[in-house]
This record gives sequence, structure tokens and C-alpha cells, in this order.
Amino acid sequence: MNVELQVIGSALRAVAEEMGAVLIRSAFSANIKERRDCSTAIFDESGRMIAQAEHIPVHLGAMPDAVAAAMSLCLTPGQVCILNDPYTGGTHLPDVTLVSRTSLGYAVSRAHHADVGGMEPASLPAFSRELYQEGLIIPPMLLTAEVEQLFAANARNPDERRGDLRAQISAHRLAERRIDELCTRRGRERIAAAMDELYAYSERMVRAAIARLPDGTWSAEDVVEAVDGELTIRASFEIAGDEIRIDFTGTDPQDSYNLNCPMSVTRSACYFVVRCLTEPDLPASGGAFAPVAVTAPEGCLVHARAPAAVVAGNTETASRIVDVLFRALGNRAQGQGTMNNVALGNDGFTYYETIGGGQGACADGDGPSGVHVAMSNTLITPVEALELSYPLRVERWHLRTGSGGAGRHRGGDGVVRELRVLEDCRLSVLAERRAHGPHGADGGEDGVPGRTLVNGEEQPAKVTRQLHAGDVIRIETPGGGGLGSG
Amino acid sequence: MQSTRVAILGVDVGGTFTDAVLLDGGRVRTAKVPTALRQEESVLAAARAVGAEGVVHFAHGTTVATNALLERRGARTAFVANEGFEHLLHLRRQTRAHLYRLCDEHPPPLVPLERCYGVRGRVGPNGELEPLDLSTLPDVGDAEAVAVCLLFSFRDPSHERAVVEELRRRNPGAHVVASHEVAPEFREYERASTTAVDAYLAPVAARYLRALADAARDAGLPEPLVMLSSGGVASVDEAAAHPATILVSGPAGGVVGAGLVARRAGFEQAIAFDMGGTSTDVCLLPGGRAARVAERAVGGLPIRLPTVDLHTVGAGGGSLVTRDAGGAIQVGPESAGAHPGPACYGAGGGATVTDANLLLGRLPAELPGGLVLDRAAAERALGDIDPQAVIDVVNAEMLRALRVVSVERGHDPRDFALVAFGGAGPLHACALAEELDIEAVLVPEAAGVLSALGLVAGEERRDRVVSYVRPLAEVGELPADGDADLRYRGQSFELTVPLQHDLAAAFHHAHEERYGHAEPEREIELVAVRTADVTPGPDVSLHVTDCYKVEGPALVELHGATCWVPAGWHGETNDDGTLVLRR
Repeated sequence: MNVELQVIGSALRAVAEEMGAVLIRSAFSANIKERRDCSTAIFDESGRMIAQAEHIPVHLGAMPDAVAAAMSLCLTPGQVCILNDPYTGGTHLPDVTLVSRTSLGYAVSRAHHADVGGMEPASLPAFSRELYQEGLIIPPMLLTAEVEQLFAANARNPDERRGDLRAQISAHRLAERRIDELCTRRGRERIAAAMDELYAYSERMVRAAIARLPDGTWSAEDVVEAVDGELTIRASFEIAGDEIRIDFTGTDPQDSYNLNCPMSVTRSACYFVVRCLTEPDLPASGGAFAPVAVTAPEGCLVHARAPAAVVAGNTETASRIVDVLFRALGNRAQGQGTMNNVALGNDGFTYYETIGGGQGACADGDGPSGVHVAMSNTLITPVEALELSYPLRVERWHLRTGSGGAGRHRGGDGVVRELRVLEDCRLSVLAERRAHGPHGADGGEDGVPGRTLVNGEEQPAKVTRQLHAGDVIRIETPGGGGLGSG
Repeated sequence: MQSTRVAILGVDVGGTFTDAVLLDGGRVRTAKVPTALRQEESVLAAARAVGAEGVVHFAHGTTVATNALLERRGARTAFVANEGFEHLLHLRRQTRAHLYRLCDEHPPPLVPLERCYGVRGRVGPNGELEPLDLSTLPDVGDAEAVAVCLLFSFRDPSHERAVVEELRRRNPGAHVVASHEVAPEFREYERASTTAVDAYLAPVAARYLRALADAARDAGLPEPLVMLSSGGVASVDEAAAHPATILVSGPAGGVVGAGLVARRAGFEQAIAFDMGGTSTDVCLLPGGRAARVAERAVGGLPIRLPTVDLHTVGAGGGSLVTRDAGGAIQVGPESAGAHPGPACYGAGGGATVTDANLLLGRLPAELPGGLVLDRAAAERALGDIDPQAVIDVVNAEMLRALRVVSVERGHDPRDFALVAFGGAGPLHACALAEELDIEAVLVPEAAGVLSALGLVAGEERRDRVVSYVRPLAEVGELPADGDADLRYRGQSFELTVPLQHDLAAAFHHAHEERYGHAEPEREIELVAVRTADVTPGPDVSLHVTDCYKVEGPALVELHGATCWVPAGWHGETNDDGTLVLRR
């Protein structure tokens, strides 16, 4: 890689990172400003991802579909496209994506908004059966003042939505300025050539890393805990030379509720596993995923057909896809396998958080405790920030000691988080690994399954219900699986 | 009463060398001695080497606290939180250490799980929710230090105060720290982390600082003032009580020194660029004084205390050069250190940035002190790697750092002068200035020991923060001088605005500048007010021995550093001996 390329690569990454900083620092909802549930990236003229801020894996792998969808609008510089439709470039409805035209390519931001309307506050209903119930569907369209009004009017907390959306727009304005400056300083042609080469460089690095892995085909399966019973994900993972092919033939048909993944989310989960296996430290461009082919029969759980409901696919099914692929490869135990989504709200507030748990043990060490294990890496809202802004009180927040699976290397421990609601409100919990603990590997023990309790009473993995002031929700998150017999 | 000589002494202890600067009747003397295992001995040795006599003012920069933290040599520490929140230090903010290396661990917390305790009682945002029950406070065993962090103590410290008093009563030998005394701001993890670091380091820092004060007294020196991370200085007792405030002590001295040099050269806006052997620190100096941040991570632990806004890059002159599988040249983070040093030192070291500089003719054949540089060894070590490419790669890292502190914080680097110091700073500064369209590069005469110079010029400073977190419109009178942290109600991050008559207008304006839009209809929240009691530092005047002019390309040898002046650059020294380079 020549030096100019390294310099330009650093500059483009710096733009993506600065976009992320502006978004987080000027946002209004706890989910963006404290939990940083957002991602930013820079794409080239042909819609290929060139540089990203390393935030949330599930966002990043699915972004190219958003840019492809936005490109159909033929944006001119300065124009911003908004979308959240999972079937045209989105992931699930709360993830609102903006794509703007810069003087050379596109800037992208994706942020999880704490409410986008739909049947339940905070837009994470446990029992949605079609997309229309999950919130306002925004196909790719120009973001105008009218669209902003429409978006805010459909959300339960319009003021917060406007504030968060403006924070996103600020990030795009910044990216436009920075790309302009870069083109002026170094020449547009040279930046364009560097973008090509950065893409090719990542592809070369990842191909070389895949070629170093042994060839072969492995397969595995695992289940998600759907409202109507368990659904199976089957995957085969083939390494052939410098390419990887992942296929989901044999996976159960799509869920009648909302565990479905659009193909963009499924690909994102596969890319995450490839990244862990090959070049974890590479500043990635889309080229890193060029050697990876992902296929799944249309209409199955991991390649859902519109208008299937998808809200839990992005967080829960995506987590399980990662589990299945790691299980096929057999060299690590499973992590908590869920994001433990908790959504609360009424007419006055909406609050959303996801809660970490135990990581699965690796060949070279114990699994860390109390972290997001795969497709998310959001922060926890500080107790003090939460209590200052919402009618909620945190009663407990500590490690769930002993929940990690035993083994030569131990699985990480889950956590315990108790929230008391101070007003009547609606609760939705979308969680997994309530019936089955994360699997250990190579003789290591499974992690302890998670639990959801309301006033001490155990709840199913997916639940939406009414709460009264004073009620206490307790979430015990799963421990990670152990590796190797003790 | 009369003293014939009135001298000012600054001593900065670094990892390899201890530097001393003595200002004696306007004359500057410098000295460098190797750093010994016991830092107080190095300090005294440096003072002797520089000929310190009749010293009335003695300032000190130390790495004792930083090293003890990085090497985990602090006290056996216990942590007390609310019942149910005992594991705060272990839960952090729940992010994992590496996005794709799933079993990577963060640096372990300073307090192991078995010494994390809870006490019953709870304060909420609007006051007490449950009375404190001291009978539930466990015995902290043989802990030498205890950190106490209870929820909302930044608003109502009564529970925390009672717990601390009880712990001091029960464990008279232990050092007990309350979070509201150290960092009275919201976000419990960051506050707990700061408190734990403070408690963990206190016994070590106190032992060292008291030993130093004793040794100084025996040597006829005044009691030293200690450089704080904020760029001010404090007494030995203050620093020993809260060593979390001195974690960036040495680099802060460099930044103060750079500000002094820039102001005296007539540049109000400057960027400090301190490139050493293994790392590089850059810092913006708007108005000739260091910008400060409210939080900084040290050794992976967040420290919520005012700190000069340094951005550190793990690359310097001694950084090793390698090539990765994709053919890209990598510089650092591994370093050749002092031993074996760069390949050209002839002691079997690998290829470094210094070797590339040597092959490009930017270093003398022999270093001051008599080390003859081995060109052939440098060539062998670099092999087919183009030395200019090495410089370009390391400069790209430096550029990124310079952009982080300037462009990304909303400042145009073209309005700033670059102050280059540290052993390698003056070698790279002009090329970086060209990339950023910076017109002037300042190279202080004492480029190799600027931190020590900054110490002698440091102002005495005590920072105070008062947490508000309430609507600006409801807040009464505020101090006249200082800074206000403000945000729109609902945001979590503040913009810092100097206290002034129409704070609201100033905040809308700052928000517009920073984020491209203001929202005058939204309510503004005052988060905190930061004030400082400042006693100005001594009036430092520098006298120069020899003045000179230089025309690039040229190589200028300085005390402890070498300056490379590329073609197209020229300059001359000012009255301070600072080389002012322009294009």
C-alpha cells in the first residue's frame, strides 16, 4: 500500500469518526447520546463502503444496501436521503438511516431512534406480526422539512426525534465539508483513485487471510425462541481457497411474529464472523466482504419476504446467526446470544436499552463478563443519567456471578439489572436464551440461561405488557459458554 | 533578607532522562541526568547538575503516579458503592475491549471483586430515597486505601460523607477518598473510576512526594510545587492527597512551556507538538494557553478531572518500522527504546524512524555526547523500504493527531503556529506545517527540555467544579470568571463557554459553530461551572547566548534535539533563542 493511500485512508476514517462524534455529542435520546447506538461511514461514487467508524457491527455490514437504495434517488451534493424500510435498505424500523451526497461519493449515518410509532411505545413490540405494526415505514426519500414533520408526527416523542434527526444531519453537513476540503487539498481524481485502492487493499488482505485457513465445509444449527415455539437456523460454512460461501438452506420458514431478518441483516451477521476469523484489526472497507457469498432461500427466517415483521431479527436472530456460524467452526463457545432489549414508555416518555451478558470462552482465554457479545457494542446508560431524565429507578446493577459456563476457559458472567418504573407504562422485552443457555464447546459447560421477571414473576422470552407505578423488572442476562473440559 | 542570587528551578522526571532547567538572574541553564529507580534521587542529581543555588521557587513534574498506575504498583484498595451496585468498576459501560477480538479484556479494574462492597441507603436525583444504614457497611479488611462512590453524591454528598467518616473511624490507617471530593459530576462509572485511581495511588504518591520534600529540604531547596494534569501547580500536600490530578504532570509541563515560548514570540495561537522516542503529544494552545478537557483515559481507566487536552499517538523517533502482509509500512507502536535503540546506534536495534531520518541526511553523523551514528546499519535494517516513505507514514499519523486537536475541535490550523519540541519534534515539524498550511514553526532553544522550562513558568492553580444540572434560567448569580458547561435540555454532552453576561446567547452561538445549527426554542441546562484560583507563575525572562539565521535545506543542532529545515524554509532566532521558521 503506498503512502499517499495510507494518508488518504486515515483522512477518510477520520471523517467517519468525526461524524460519529458530532452525532453522539449533539443527540437528545439516551440511546444515541449515552449508549451510542449509531454508526457512520463514507462510501464512494459507486456505492462501495470505503471507511467507517467502528461502532455497531449490525449497522455497518448492512449499510451498503442503504446506499444502493438511496442511489436510486440520484441525489445531488447536499441532498439527504432518509430511509428505514427493512426491505429497501434498512434493518428494522427504529434504525433510521441518512445517506447524503458529498462531492465525491456518499456519507451515511444510522441511528436507533427510541420510538418510530407503531403499536407499542419505544417501537419494540413483542407481538407484531407484520411490519406495519412496528412503526412508520420510510422508503428511500429526500429528507425535506415536510418529511421531518411527518416523521416527528408519527413518533411518541416528536421533540426528541427532531433533535436526534438534526444531530444526524449535522454529522452529514460535517462530512460534506470534510470531503470537499480533502478533494480541494489533494485533488478529486486522487481521492477517487485512493478509494478504489482502499477497497482493493481490504479485499486483498481478507483474501490472503481466508487462503491461510484450511479448506472445507462445516455446518451447524441452533434455535431461536419464537412466540409460537422454536425455529431452527441451519447454516453451512465453506472455505474454498480465498473465498467463503455461507448458505442457510434448511433454515425454518419465516416467523409469524418478528424474529425475521431481511437479507441485509443476515449478510451483516456473516460479515461479522468473517471479520473475527480473518482480519480483526484491519480498518475495513467493503472490499473486506467481497470474498464472502451469502445465500438463503427466500421466505425463510433469515431471508424474510415483505411485509413480515422484523423488529427482533436485527438484534436476536442476527445474534443467533453468529452463534450458528461459530458453532460450525467449533473453535469457540457461544456468547449470551441476545441483546436483552428492554423498551419502556407511555405518553410522556420512551426509553430503550440493551443489556450485555457473558461472552463465550475462546481458545486463548476466558470470556469477558457483562458485555455485548456480537452484533452490538452499545454502552449502558449510566444510572444517574437515566434517573435524571426518565421516571425510572435502577434498583440493582451487578454481575450475575457464576452464570458463565465452566471449562478450561470459562464463559463470561451475565449481569443483573433491576428497573423500577415510577409511572404506569408499557413494557416490551425482546430476549433470547431464556430456555437454552449458550452452548459450551469442546467439553465446556453451557452458560446459565437468562431470565426476565416482573415483580418476581418469570416472563417469557418475548413479552409486551402493562406495568403500574412501582413495578420492578428484573433482567438476568445469560452467561457465556465454557471451552474445554475443566 | 537579601539574597545575592534568586533562582528558579524546574525538574521534570521522564522515563529515560530527568531534565532540569535553572533560571538564574535571567540566564537559562539546563541539565540532563539518567532517571534512577528512586525518582527523588534523580531530581536531586539533576538539581546538582544544573548548579541549583539560591533557589526560591522549585517546580516538579513527575511520572511516579502514572508509572504506579500503568505498572499496577498502587495500594491494596477497597471500593464501597450502594448495595446492589458493588460491581460498578467491573461493569464499566458494558462495551467490550475489541469489536472483533471477542475475548480481549480491558485492563483489569484496580479493585478485585472480593474487595468491592455495598452499603444500604440511597440518594436519588431529588434527594434521599432510603436512609443510610451504616450497620450494613462491611469490614474492608486489610485495605490500605478505600474509594467510596455512592449514587448522586455529586448532588447530595451526605451519605457518602457519613460512610467516609465511619471508614476513617474504623480504619484509621487507611486512606479513604469520597467521590464527591474528587470528581463531583454525574455518570457514576467515570466518577467511581476516578475515585478508585485516586485512592489506589495516594499511598505511593504520598510516600514519594514526602521523601522528595525531605530530600529537597536537606539539600537547601524549597518545598517543590507539583505540576498537575491541568497545567497548574499545587503543593506537595495537595498532590499527595489527590494523585489522580498529577497523572499527566510531565507532558502538561511541556505544554505550558510551549505556550510560554509561543506567547513570547508573539504568537497567541499555537499548537504544541512534542515528539519523543516512543510517543508524541499534541495540544492546542488557543490564546497561548493549553486547552483543557474534563476527562481523559489513563491506562484504559477514565479519569474525570481537568486535564490539558493532549492527544497522544504511539509513535515517535524510536518507533520500529515494519511491513504488513498487504505491503503497507507500519510505524510503531513497538519502540526500540533506549536499548538497543535505533539500528544506527549500532547496538543491534531494528529499523526506526530515526534511521530513516539519518539516511535522508537529517541527523548529524555524531550525536552530542559522542555517539557516532552507523549509516550502514540503518541501511541494512531498512532494506528495500524507502526512508522517505517511512517519514511520510509517520507524518500521516502526526497529521491525524494534529487534525484531531485542531480541525475536529473546530479550529483552522492555518491560524496557529506549530511549537516543535521533544527529541524528534523539530525534525518533522516543517513537513507537517506544509501539509496543514501552517506558516510558522517555532523551535525553542530548550527543545529537548521544554517540559522542565514549563514547570518553572507554571501558574499555581486550584480547579473547582460545581455541579448544577438545572435549567440555566433558574440559576442565580454565577462567578464572574471561569467556564460554564452548557447543553440543550435532553443532550448529554456539554459545550464549554466562558462565563459572561449573556450565557444563553453565547451557548446558542457555540452550538451553531460546532454543530451547524442552534435551537433557540430549546431550554438550556447548566451542567457545571468550572472556576480556578490562579496565582500567576514567576515572570520568566530568557537570555540568549548566540543568535543565528538559517536557510533551508539545513540541519540545526539544538540542546537535546535536531532541527531539519527543508528547502523553502528560512528563519532566525528571536530574543529568547527560539528559532522562528517561515516559508
